Amino acid sequence: MIKKEELQSLFEIELKDKLTGLEGLRKCVAKRIFCGIALVALPIIVGIALFAFVSSNNNTMQWMVNVSPFIVFIIAGIVLLFFGMKKKREYRCRYKADVVSEVVRVIDSEWNYLPDGCITYSEYHSSDLFRQHFDRYRGDDLISGVIDKTDFRCSELHTEYKEVTHDKDGKRQERWVTIFKGLFFNADFNKKIRVQTYVQPDTSERLLGKFGQKLQFSNKGKLVKLENPEFEKFFSVFSTDQTEARYILTPAIMEALVNIYKQYKRRMHLSFVGSRVYVAMSFKKDLFEPKIFTSGVKYDDVEFMYNLFMVNATIIHELNLNTRIWTKD
Amino acid sequence: MEIIGIVITVGILILFCIIIYNNLVRKRNEVDNAFGGMDVQLKKRYDLIPNLVATVKQYASHEKELFEKVTELRSKANSGKLSADEKVAIDNQISAGMKSIMVAVENYPELKASENFINLHRTLNETESQLSAARRTYNAVITDYNNAIQTFPGNVIAGMMKLQRKEVFVIQDVERQNVDVKNLFN
Repeated sequence: MIKKEELQSLFEIELKDKLTGLEGLRKCVAKRIFCGIALVALPIIVGIALFAFVSSNNNTMQWMVNVSPFIVFIIAGIVLLFFGMKKKREYRCRYKADVVSEVVRVIDSEWNYLPDGCITYSEYHSSDLFRQHFDRYRGDDLISGVIDKTDFRCSELHTEYKEVTHDKDGKRQERWVTIFKGLFFNADFNKKIRVQTYVQPDTSERLLGKFGQKLQFSNKGKLVKLENPEFEKFFSVFSTDQTEARYILTPAIMEALVNIYKQYKRRMHLSFVGSRVYVAMSFKKDLFEPKIFTSGVKYDDVEFMYNLFMVNATIIHELNLNTRIWTKD
Repeated sequence: MEIIGIVITVGILILFCIIIYNNLVRKRNEVDNAFGGMDVQLKKRYDLIPNLVATVKQYASHEKELFEKVTELRSKANSGKLSADEKVAIDNQISAGMKSIMVAVENYPELKASENFINLHRTLNETESQLSAARRTYNAVITDYNNAIQTFPGNVIAGMMKLQRKEVFVIQDVERQNVDVKNLFN
């Protein structure tokens, strides 16, 4: 497994050339999209301005004659955008194949990377982290592998549900509401689990202190009050068995979760269900995607990608999942 | 009008007392339940002792005194008629004894490699982890109970119910120190 210090030299030796090779394609995509947007937007702006001018003179027919050439520009813009998006897909595929998979390979050559694969519905449901019914389920960048004795699977995931409302005129309005967006990880847990234990981000206790603890409820189980004050500030725990929750969340695991939270500073949901631990780490932006309008030859982007992939190793290492001294092999 | 006001106030007060009373009873039951959970794990650990002693004895016959002491403590713990405090005290001694057996095992590489011992060790680790979780649950429940009976207005009803403060489970100093096998039971 490559160390962060070695990543810089890997970037200089291997990745920089590959990224530079992709720059031509990126610029082509950027040019097409930019020109397409300009060809669509400018005639519309000019057309609206003209309409405002001619409508004051009550000469709509004249306006229609004047704007007809602009329609040609708009159609040309749409065609250009279409080809731009097609090229973008090609750029994305090559970026994932040449750059993302290379970063995965250098971290651990045994890991499998599927650019279009994602965590399955069944894994998502098994985690029981988000009970809200979803209408849209999307994901990509699936990584699976084994770190020492622990197998894991991780991918980017975005689940949403459709919210339908009606305004005062009875007009139907639809909007997509995100249930979860970010990295979804699951790994084999090193202890036998009989019931379900959930760790959720805690906002009420962080804001209101001990009083906030009284406001914590969940339909997933009873609140488990743990001894680590720092952990309690960041997370709340619910379980159907108080003792098993403590069997899972040992003082060392609580410390580890605080460390992971401090390292990534993301909202984290965890569940310990069946024989696995599930971790959902929220991110607002799309991950592992190439940038179009800024240069792709940037070490920072590769480093960010590396840090995301290392979430897998960090969780397994911090939670000590490779330690198999209990009855589960 | 005044009478209605008084009746409502008294009604609210009675309801309030019932809620506090029920809450205290629930907390007392939770303490008993948590102690029961801990007791189950202690029993599991006692059940492992004969197996552990038998396995280790085959290789480490020099540690005879240690085995005898642990076996004796186990019999005492299983005899019943022990109060909660006595159980905790014996548990502390057994914990120290088990630790010293594990330390003694370090001197017998053949024993460490034996499959029987490896399986026993894993089961023991499992039981110790479960026991530790049960102790932590017990402490959390006791803290909740103590807070409920010592803070106003719970303390008024608790006084009438004659509820006493309970001690949380603390690790004895002997457990915090490094194990000295020779002087352990002196």
